[in-house]
Amino acid sequence: MFPFAFRNLLSRPLRSALALCGLTVAIAGMVGLFSVAEGIQDTVQSTFGKMPGLVIIQPGAPIPLFSRLPADWDAELRSVEGVHVVHPEVWARAHLVEGKAAISPPRFLFGSDLERADQLLFSIYREKIVAGRYLTAEDRTTLHCVISKGIAEEHQCTVGDTLKVDGKLLEIVGIYDTKSLFLDVAIIIDIALAREMGKVGTDTVCNFYVEPQAAVRYADIADRINALLANRGPGAWQPTLDQALDLAGDNPALKSLAPLAKAALAAGGESKPPQTSPGEAPIEVRSPEDWSDQVQQFTADLDLFLAIMTTIGITIAFVGIVNTMLMSVSERIIEFGILKANGWSSGNVLTLIGCESALLGLGGGVLGAFVGWVATHAVNARFPTRIHLYASPKLLVASLLFSCVLGMLAGLYPALRAARMAPMEAIRRG
Amino acid sequence: MADASTANPPCINVSNVVKTYRRGVDEVRALRGLTCQIPQGRLSFIVGPSGSGKSSLLYLLGGLDRPDSGDISVFGRPLTEFTHRERDEFRRREVGFIFQNFNLLGNLSAVDNVLVPFLPQGISADLRRQAVELLTQVGLAKRLDHRPNQLSGGEQQRVAIARALLKRPLLVLGDEPTGELDSTSGAEIYRHLRQLRDQHGSTIVVVTHDRSHIEPGDFVLTIRDGTLKTD
Ligand SMILES: Nc1ncnc2c1ncn2[C@@H]1O[C@H](COP(=O)(O)OP(=O)(O)OP(=O)(O)O)[C@@H](O)[C@H]1O
Ligand SMILES: [Mg+2]
Repeated sequence: MFPFAFRNLLSRPLRSALALCGLTVAIAGMVGLFSVAEGIQDTVQSTFGKMPGLVIIQPGAPIPLFSRLPADWDAELRSVEGVHVVHPEVWARAHLVEGKAAISPPRFLFGSDLERADQLLFSIYREKIVAGRYLTAEDRTTLHCVISKGIAEEHQCTVGDTLKVDGKLLEIVGIYDTKSLFLDVAIIIDIALAREMGKVGTDTVCNFYVEPQAAVRYADIADRINALLANRGPGAWQPTLDQALDLAGDNPALKSLAPLAKAALAAGGESKPPQTSPGEAPIEVRSPEDWSDQVQQFTADLDLFLAIMTTIGITIAFVGIVNTMLMSVSERIIEFGILKANGWSSGNVLTLIGCESALLGLGGGVLGAFVGWVATHAVNARFPTRIHLYASPKLLVASLLFSCVLGMLAGLYPALRAARMAPMEAIRRG
Repeated sequence: MADASTANPPCINVSNVVKTYRRGVDEVRALRGLTCQIPQGRLSFIVGPSGSGKSSLLYLLGGLDRPDSGDISVFGRPLTEFTHRERDEFRRREVGFIFQNFNLLGNLSAVDNVLVPFLPQGISADLRRQAVELLTQVGLAKRLDHRPNQLSGGEQQRVAIARALLKRPLLVLGDEPTGELDSTSGAEIYRHLRQLRDQHGSTIVVVTHDRSHIEPGDFVLTIRDGTLKTD
C-alpha cells in the first residue's frame, strides 16, 4: 500500500509539495520554539552538573550578586564536619569593558579567594582553561585575571594582553571556555581586587562556596550548616532601588538563572553585611539541585507559553493539510470509485488515504525537524554569547512523531468521506 | 443448478427487480419489475434503447448497487440478501468490470493497472507474471510499462479487460466496452473477450448499443422501459 500511496503523492507533485511545506514550516517552528526552553535547561544542566559544591547565600537573594554575608563566618563554616574547603566569593558587575558598556551579554567580576581556590578539588573555571593558566595563590594582590573565550573574542585580546574594566587595566593570564552561557560571563580576579572594584567591605562576602569531603552527602552538610547558623541569619534579602532596577533592566531570565554570575552592586559606598537578627530565617544553603529546581519552574512557565505559540502554528498547518487532502480526495472520487469497482473495500480506500497523509506527515516531520535543527545551530553560531538554543534528540523525535499523527488526523475526515462514497456514484460521475 | 439438462444452465436469476432513482422530488423508475435469466459460460448481450435501464441492471448484477425490491442470485448465491460487506467481498472475488471509458488509473503503468485489484493485499511475483501473461494474450506484450495516456483507446480497453480477468472471476461485466472505439478496435475487443471466455470459462455479460458484434451462439437480452422485451 505504501508504495502505491507514495506514487500517488508523486503524481501530484505541486499539491504534495505545498502540503509538505505547510507541515515543514509548522514543525520547524515547533522545534525552534521548544529549543529555547531546552536550551535554557541544557545550559542549566551543563552549569550545575559541573558544580559539585554548595552555595551559601543570603536567604531570598536570587543570585549571589545581591547577597551579602559576614566574612567571619568563614572560620565557622570550615569547622563544620565533612567540609573540605570553604571558598569565599565576591561578585561585582563589570560596567565598562574596554570602554564598552557590558549589558548584553552582561559581564561580572568574580573575586576568588585564590589560596582556597588552590585547595578546591574541582573548580569549574580551572578545569576549562583553554589558553594560559588559571589563577593561583601567587596571583594575590596582582591585577591578573582569567577571562572566557567569549570575552576574549569580543574584545580581540588574548593571554598577555590587558583588559580595561571599569578603569582598571587587568592583565590576562588565562582563558577558559566552559561553553555555558551563564558561566562564561565571569572575569576572574583576586577577591581583594573584586572588593575594591565592587566596593564590598573586607568584612563582607557575597557567598561561600563549600566543597564537601569525598562521599559526604550535600543534605548532611546543609543540615549541619543550618544548625550552626540558626537564628543568626543575616535577614532576608530586600532589593534596594538600584538592585531592583538592575534586575528589571536586564534579561530577567539570564539573571535569575546565573548562579555564579553576579557581582556586588556598585551603589555608592561600601556595602555592609546585613545585621544579624536573631529569630529570622537562617541562611540559605543551595545545592545544585536547588538551583535546577528554580530553573525548572521558570522553564515550565516558558514551556506553557511556547506550547500556546506552537498550537497556533500547528493549527494553521493542520487546516492546511485537511484542505489539501480534502481537495485531493474530491478530485479523485472517480479514482476511488474505480478502485472500489475493482474490489477494493472501504477499509482499503481508507488505508490508502491514511498512508498518503501519513507519508506527508512523515515527510513534513523529517524536513521540519531537520530545518529546525539547522536553524538552532545557525542561531547559536550567529550569537554564541547571547543565546543558546538546544534541539534535543528527544524533541526532534517527538516532533517527527507528532507530525505523522498530525498528517494522519488531517487525512482522516477526507478519507472517511471517500470511503463512504458508493462506487456507483463515482462511476456515474466519470 | 436448477436446470442441468441444458448445455448452459442459468447462472444469473433476476426476478421482479425494481430500481428507482430519486433525485430530489423526481423519481426515475429505471427497472420496473424485471425478470430474466442469463446462462453460464456464454457471451451474453443486454441491448435496448438509451435510458432503458441496461446499465442499471448490470451494476445490480455486479453488486455495485442494490435493487429496491426483487431478487437476484448469481451462481445460486442470493445477492440481494448480502450485507454491505458481503457484497464488497462478492465484488472483490467474483466480478470483473469493464467500463465504457476504461477507467484506468493515469499514474500507473499497464501492468500495475492490471494489478490494481490486488494492491491492498500486496503483489506477489507470481501474480505479476500472470498479469504480464494476460496482457500478452490481449496483444500488449510490448506495452507493459506504458501509462494509459501513452496507449490508444483500444489498447486501454484491453488493459481493462486484463484487469477484469486477473482474479479469474466467475462473472465479467462490461458496460459498452467498445462504445468509444472504432469498429476495428471494437471487433478486436470482442475477439479477445471470446478467446478469454473459451480459455477461462468465464460468463461474460455485455451491455451494448451496437448489435453488429453479436454472433449466432450469443445470448441476447433486450430491455425496453425497464422491463424485458420478449420478441
Ligand atoms: N443516479 C441516477 N439518478 C437519477 N436517475 C438515474 C441515475 N442513474 C440512472 N438514472 C436514470 O435511470 C434510467 C436508466 O438509466 P441507465 O443508465 O440504466 O440506462 P441505459 O440503458 O444504460 O442507457 P444508456 O444506453 O444511455 O447508457 C435513465 O432514465 C437515467 O436517466
Ligand atoms: Mg448505460
